[in-house]
Amino acid sequence: MTVVPAQQTGGGGGSSGLYDVLELVLDRGLVIDAFVRVSLVGIEILKIDVRVVVASVDTYLRFAEACNRLDLEAGPRKSPGLPDMVGEITESGARGKSKGALSGAAETISGAFKQAREEGQGERQAESRPRARKSTATRKKEEPE
Amino acid sequence: MSTYVYGITADSHPSLPEGMDGVGDPACSVRVVKEGGLAAVVSDAPEGLRPKRKDLLAHQNVLAEVGAGGPVLPMRFGSVATDDATVAGVLAERADHYKERLDALAGRVEYNVKASHEEEAVLHRVMSENPEVRALTEANRQAGGGGYQQKLRLGEMVVAAVKAREAEDAAELQQALEPVADAVSAGPESSGWLANLSFLVARETAEVFLTAVEQVRKSHPHLDVRVNGPLPPYSFVDPGPSEPADTTIGSDATTDAEAERIQERMQERIQE
Repeated sequence: MTVVPAQQTGGGGGSSGLYDVLELVLDRGLVIDAFVRVSLVGIEILKIDVRVVVASVDTYLRFAEACNRLDLEAGPRKSPGLPDMVGEITESGARGKSKGALSGAAETISGAFKQAREEGQGERQAESRPRARKSTATRKKEEPE
Repeated sequence: MSTYVYGITADSHPSLPEGMDGVGDPACSVRVVKEGGLAAVVSDAPEGLRPKRKDLLAHQNVLAEVGAGGPVLPMRFGSVATDDATVAGVLAERADHYKERLDALAGRVEYNVKASHEEEAVLHRVMSENPEVRALTEANRQAGGGGYQQKLRLGEMVVAAVKAREAEDAAELQQALEPVADAVSAGPESSGWLANLSFLVARETAEVFLTAVEQVRKSHPHLDVRVNGPLPPYSFVDPGPSEPADTTIGSDATTDAEAERIQERMQERIQE
């Protein structure tokens, strides 16, 4: 199970935390009418796909298959939801799911960077690529234009 | 040259980060505009500023530095004023309001909490709670996986149960953490989370809050809970009551129109 320790320091602010709070930096905070905001083209895609589990035929079939593979005996007897008992068969599914959510954010921002790069504005976004490459996102992600 | 604004603090702030690297490449140097007992933390605004990683980090780092020394009202990324005089004018005009907010946020920080389901773990949970799902799964399995329609029926039932679980888990997460925070705010909608909540927490009780998060992790092992903080209070710069619980569950947004569309698609596929 993924357990992310809380940041205990107030200063610094590593880049790992940035991905997780991107939407706060871009969508919360003080707005003053007398000031203008820089263009955030490409960032709006943060708002897509609000639902976590989407009701669709594909999702239904995928979940039916996933249930079919589950070890039924283990479920009711042990305390529900313990990831340990899920075992090897299901490992890829759970990982894919949680990584999907994370790499979604990474993809979003790396997409925005890609766009910026293509406009000849930046060359220092290479760090964002390893995250995007790890992507095993199962959900549909829209690419920025 | 126009002026990029990071945040607003009191001019009595003990350690304003003057000279720190701000946004832009090369980085613009951070300076301070003081007016009416307030201090705006600013820098020059680079031409063609975009939300790039380096600039987002610079914004975040400057605010973290200011926040470490005293309360700050963080600006949303990308706020640009015509010049320093405009910034000073805004400070003068709304001084009382900003001072009130700074007082209200003194000694408090934001913690953002996001949760998602571990898929296989939540399936186990759903099965253990729902005899009907269990029975249908077993029937399908004995039929060698079941036919297309049986699979659809099972899948639909499971998806409904998982979605109900998402809503319940989001509510339980909020109920568990709200009592150990001063305020709660629903985060902006974004992909992949069944809950995205920001909590305003007094620095001195941060340990209590983090302990409560640990307890949720233990009691909800099918949840992946991510905590980020302490952060500048992005979600609490505007006054107002905390969000009621029922507005914070962003995962239950299937519209009737969409449900109809899905029904139609299913019908089509079944007929094929």
